[in-house]
Amino acid sequence: MFDSQKKISPRDVLLLACIMGGVILLFHHLAQELNYNWDWSVIPGYIARFDSGSGNWRAGLLTQGLLVTLRLSLWSILLGLLAGTVMGMWRLSPRPLLRMISSSYVGLVRNIPPLVLIFIFYFFLGDQIMQVTGITELSYSLDDNSSPILTTLFGPVEQLPAFLSGVLTMALFEGAYITEIVRAGIESIDNEQWEASAALGFNRRNQLIHIILPQAFSRSLPPLAGQFISTIKDSSIVSVISIQELTFAGQELMSATYRTFEIWTLVIVMYFILTFPCSIAVRELEKRMNSHKDSHH
Amino acid sequence: MNLLRTVCVSIVTAILIMSLASVGMANDTRQELSKDSTLEKVLKRKALRVGFSTFKPWAMKGKNGEFIGFEIDVAKRLASAMGVKIRFIPTKWDGIIPALLTGKFDIIIGGMGITPERNLKVNFSDPYEFSGMSIVANKNVATGKLTRADYNNAKTGGAARLAALEDFNNPKIRVSVRLGTTAEKAAKNFLPKATIVKFNDEAASIQELLNGNAACLVASHPLPETLVEKYPGKLYLPLKSDFTQEPIGFAVRKGDPDFLNFLNNWIRVCNSEGWLEARYNYWFKTNQWKSQVE
Repeated sequence: MFDSQKKISPRDVLLLACIMGGVILLFHHLAQELNYNWDWSVIPGYIARFDSGSGNWRAGLLTQGLLVTLRLSLWSILLGLLAGTVMGMWRLSPRPLLRMISSSYVGLVRNIPPLVLIFIFYFFLGDQIMQVTGITELSYSLDDNSSPILTTLFGPVEQLPAFLSGVLTMALFEGAYITEIVRAGIESIDNEQWEASAALGFNRRNQLIHIILPQAFSRSLPPLAGQFISTIKDSSIVSVISIQELTFAGQELMSATYRTFEIWTLVIVMYFILTFPCSIAVRELEKRMNSHKDSHH
Repeated sequence: MNLLRTVCVSIVTAILIMSLASVGMANDTRQELSKDSTLEKVLKRKALRVGFSTFKPWAMKGKNGEFIGFEIDVAKRLASAMGVKIRFIPTKWDGIIPALLTGKFDIIIGGMGITPERNLKVNFSDPYEFSGMSIVANKNVATGKLTRADYNNAKTGGAARLAALEDFNNPKIRVSVRLGTTAEKAAKNFLPKATIVKFNDEAASIQELLNGNAACLVASHPLPETLVEKYPGKLYLPLKSDFTQEPIGFAVRKGDPDFLNFLNNWIRVCNSEGWLEARYNYWFKTNQWKSQVE
C-alpha cells in the first residue's frame, strides 16, 4: 500500500521546516524568558568522574542511578513475568479457586493507583518481609565490598532492603498487566490445539507446558516487550519511597546544586538511551514474527 | 498469743514477699524498657541508621558520591561516640516522619525544626542548633505594582522595593514555600493574607521565584543568602535578619527515654566543647566546602 521509495515532496519539506522553526522558536523563547543561569559545566561529572585518589574513572552519580534503574527494571520484569505467567494460567484454570485468586489479584492491583500501592507496600508490608527473611540483618552485617556478585546484581548492600521492597512492588503491579497479556496469549490459541494435544494423550499440565504456552508466548512477545519498556519508565515512580534510582538521584542532585534544568535534561536523555534500543528491538521482533507468519500463509 | 504472733509474722512475710516481687517486677519492666530502647538495638546491630533529606548545606550529596554537610558531620560524630557504623538513608522530606515511625531508620538528623505538631508524632532531643526563616524576593515583581508584562516592557530596575515583613502580607503577593517545612508554617503565621504556593521540592520553589511567578520565597537560613549571591541581578534580601528563630532537634520514636537521655547529654558535651558551633560556622558561614559539591 505504501511505497517505501517514495520521494520527499515539497510539502514534507515545508512541514519539516515549520516544525523545526517552531522548536527553535520555543527554545529561543525559553532561553530568553526563563530566569535561569544555564551552566552545563557540572554535567559531565554526573556521568563519569575521575577519582584522583585511586587513579580510576568512576561512574558519576546519575550513571549510578541509571544502573539502579536498570537493575530494578530487570528484576521487576523477571519476577513480574513469573507472577504474570502463573496468574495468567490460573485465570483460565478449570479450578474456580485458582481463577478467583488470579482475578482478584488483577482486579485489586490494576485498580489501585501505582503510587498508592507503592506507599502501602513500603510502609506496611515491605519491611515485614525484609525482617522475616533476614535481609535487613544481612544488609547490616555485610560490607559494601565484601561480595562483588551481590553488588553487581542488586546494587549497594546498604540499600538492599529498600531496593528489594521496590522490586517486589514493581513486580506486583507489572505482574498484573503481564497476567492479562499471558491470558490473551493463551486465549488466542485455537481450540483445535487443545483438542489435538488432548488426543495425543497429554494431561492439562503438559498440554500447557509443551503445546499451548510456547505458542502463546511467541504471540505475546511484542506486548511483553512493550511492557518491559513501560517497566523502565514506571520505575521512576519508586523514587517516592527513596529508592536511589535515576529520578531520585537527579532530584537529590537538584536540591544540592539547584541546577534543575540541566539535570532534568540529562535524566531524560538517560531514560531515552535505556528505552529507545528496547523500542527498536520490539519493532525488529514484530517484523521478524510477521515475516514468519507470511511464509506460512 | 502464739496465734497472734504467727498471724503477724505471716502477714509481715506476705508483705515482704509481695514487695520483693513487685520490686522484681519493676526491675523486669525497667530491663525490658531498656532492652527495647533504640540505643540498645543500635549497639547490638553495630550500625546507626540515619534518615535525612537533601537540604543545602545541612546534608548534600557531594561530587564524589559521599554525603557531606552539617548534619552529616553531626551524624558521623554521633555514631563514633556510640562506637557503631553509620548508615545514611536519604529520604524524601514529606515521608520522613512516617519512615521513622515504621522503623526505616533510628533517628532523623536532618535539620528538623521542633514543632508541637511534629512533637505529637515523634520525640525531640534538646535543640542542638537554631535555624531562622528569612525572605528572598524577586526585584521586579515584589512591589506588587508591576505586573509581569510591565516588567517585560520596561525592564525597570529602580522600582521601589518592599523592605518590611508587613509589605509582603498582601493577597497580591505570591509566596513560594516548600511543602511540609517550617517555612510553610512561618509563611502562614507571618503572612496570613498573602497567597502561599507550595512545592514538593526546593528546586521547584526556587524556580517559581526566579520566573517571577512568586514574589518571594520563605526558606530557612542560609538559602536566601545563597540565592542572592547567585542571582544578584534578579533577587534581593528584603529583611536584614531572620524573622524567626527555631530550634532544631534530633527526632526519634516515642517512648524511648534511654535514647533521648543519651542524645541530650551528647549534645551537652558537644556544645560545651564548642564543636557544634565550629561545624555550624564552617557549613553556614564559609564557602570552603563549595568545591566538594559543584
